[in-house]
Amino acid sequence: MTNVISNNNLKCTVALAALQDVMDPEIGLNIVDLGLIYQVDFDEEEKIVYCTMTLTTQFCPMGESITSAATESLKLSFPEYEVNVELTFDPPWSHELISEAGREFLNER
Amino acid sequence: MFPSFGNKADTKTTSYKVVLPFYAYAALSFLVATVLLFLASGNMGSHYFTPHNLAIVHIMALGWGTMMILGASHQLVPVMIEGKLYSETLAYLSFAFAAIGIPILAYGFYVLDLRIYTQWASLSIVLSLLLYFVNVAMSMVKSKHENVHAYFVVTAILWLLTTAIVGVFILYSFTYPLLPRTSLAYLPLHAHLGIVGWFLLMVMGVGSRLIPMFLISKYSNNRQLWFIYGFVNGGLLAFVFIFFLNWSHEWLFLPLLSVAAAIALFAHFCYHSYKARIRKKVDEQMKVSLLSVLMMALPMLFLVIIIAGLIASKSEHIELTISYGFVIFFGWITAIILGMTFKTLPFIIWNRTYHHLAGKGKTPNPKDLFDEKIFKWMGMLYIAGFVLFTVAVLMGVLLLLQIAAALLVLSSVLYNWNILKLFTHKSQMR
Repeated sequence: MTNVISNNNLKCTVALAALQDVMDPEIGLNIVDLGLIYQVDFDEEEKIVYCTMTLTTQFCPMGESITSAATESLKLSFPEYEVNVELTFDPPWSHELISEAGREFLNER
Repeated sequence: MFPSFGNKADTKTTSYKVVLPFYAYAALSFLVATVLLFLASGNMGSHYFTPHNLAIVHIMALGWGTMMILGASHQLVPVMIEGKLYSETLAYLSFAFAAIGIPILAYGFYVLDLRIYTQWASLSIVLSLLLYFVNVAMSMVKSKHENVHAYFVVTAILWLLTTAIVGVFILYSFTYPLLPRTSLAYLPLHAHLGIVGWFLLMVMGVGSRLIPMFLISKYSNNRQLWFIYGFVNGGLLAFVFIFFLNWSHEWLFLPLLSVAAAIALFAHFCYHSYKARIRKKVDEQMKVSLLSVLMMALPMLFLVIIIAGLIASKSEHIELTISYGFVIFFGWITAIILGMTFKTLPFIIWNRTYHHLAGKGKTPNPKDLFDEKIFKWMGMLYIAGFVLFTVAVLMGVLLLLQIAAALLVLSSVLYNWNILKLFTHKSQMR
């Protein structure tokens, strides 16, 4: 589906399905297909979900809302886990990270 | 095993509390300016240096254009320079000094009383702009990221400060003999430092960052942007030299060509950004903003005719000069603000209302927070009013001027209606 890195592919699929409910409000596309999610790891001993993501631009005015929504969405899917969402701009987001489904969506709109 | 990407990023953006007062102030200024334009439409055939015209121009340039850019840029400068705003307190102070100074200055012009309180108002505005410059410059120093857009922004603010300082000198020279020539002789310098140095450079710097970003465009061309930067600043510096060396009018084509080249290159940049966009659907707000890029050509056309007239007859055609000012302040600058307001403000309001509720339920889209139908009507009334007014000034038809000004008043009422709708939006969490 995407090039998201994970140490648990099965749970990562569940996490990405949950994160597909989170939209970038300006573009109207979900953050998974937009290519904002880089990595989702699971610490089974400590029961923590680590999600590393980016934004289309640093200091995006909607950034905090998007990361809050991502956190809430993961908490809903993994209620027994603590959720830790971190932002990185290394590497920065580029349009090449948009999935095929995302491109189709944007082409239609 | 865990996060293998680069360092955690700081993304704290500027508080909406800093930005919103600027937007509200600008919206009200637009309304006041259009009402004054309607009331003063009978004077449009006389000299442009009339009390009412001076008041309208300064409300449009400072209250509308500059306050809106100041407000938006407090939010957008962090995006452009990839660093936090240095100080929100400085932003509040900058707002306060400008908010006090602008109406007093405009009133002083309106009643043609240019004595002490008008002079103090002008100093209050300079202080506001100085604080804004310090805030942006310190933000850049702290961010340590260098990019072409940041150079556009900081240079534009320096030109703005220069414009304001020249304005203060002109104002004081009505009372004290500070300048070697008459005060009126400095008006073209004051006006063009502001129009080209501040508005044009700032709009190009911010536009070249935001237009590809909103369109999700694959196009980027920093080399072209540096050429644009060079042509605008080169043209403006050439104009300053020609002014102070008192060279003949023929020389004015040199800065004109330089700035025209910059505008052509910027239009080329926007066109290629548009062609290479991934997001195919372009919303109404972006269309208005892109239209404003084309509207940059209109003042250039007027300027060619004005300079040609100056060379040929050594006299100035008042209707042309008034039209030139009108197509800049009520045309290009207003069009870009009308478009960009509804591209930025709904997101600021959305963040204010729903930020803490994100992910906890269904929230409305930012674009649903204002009335799109009203926006379309506002746009149509604005275009009709703008075209009609320009034609009416050139033809000198009073009735047409009044009808056109009334259309612009209606357009500004609808603009304020949508602004009020946004400002009073309450949570509609479903």
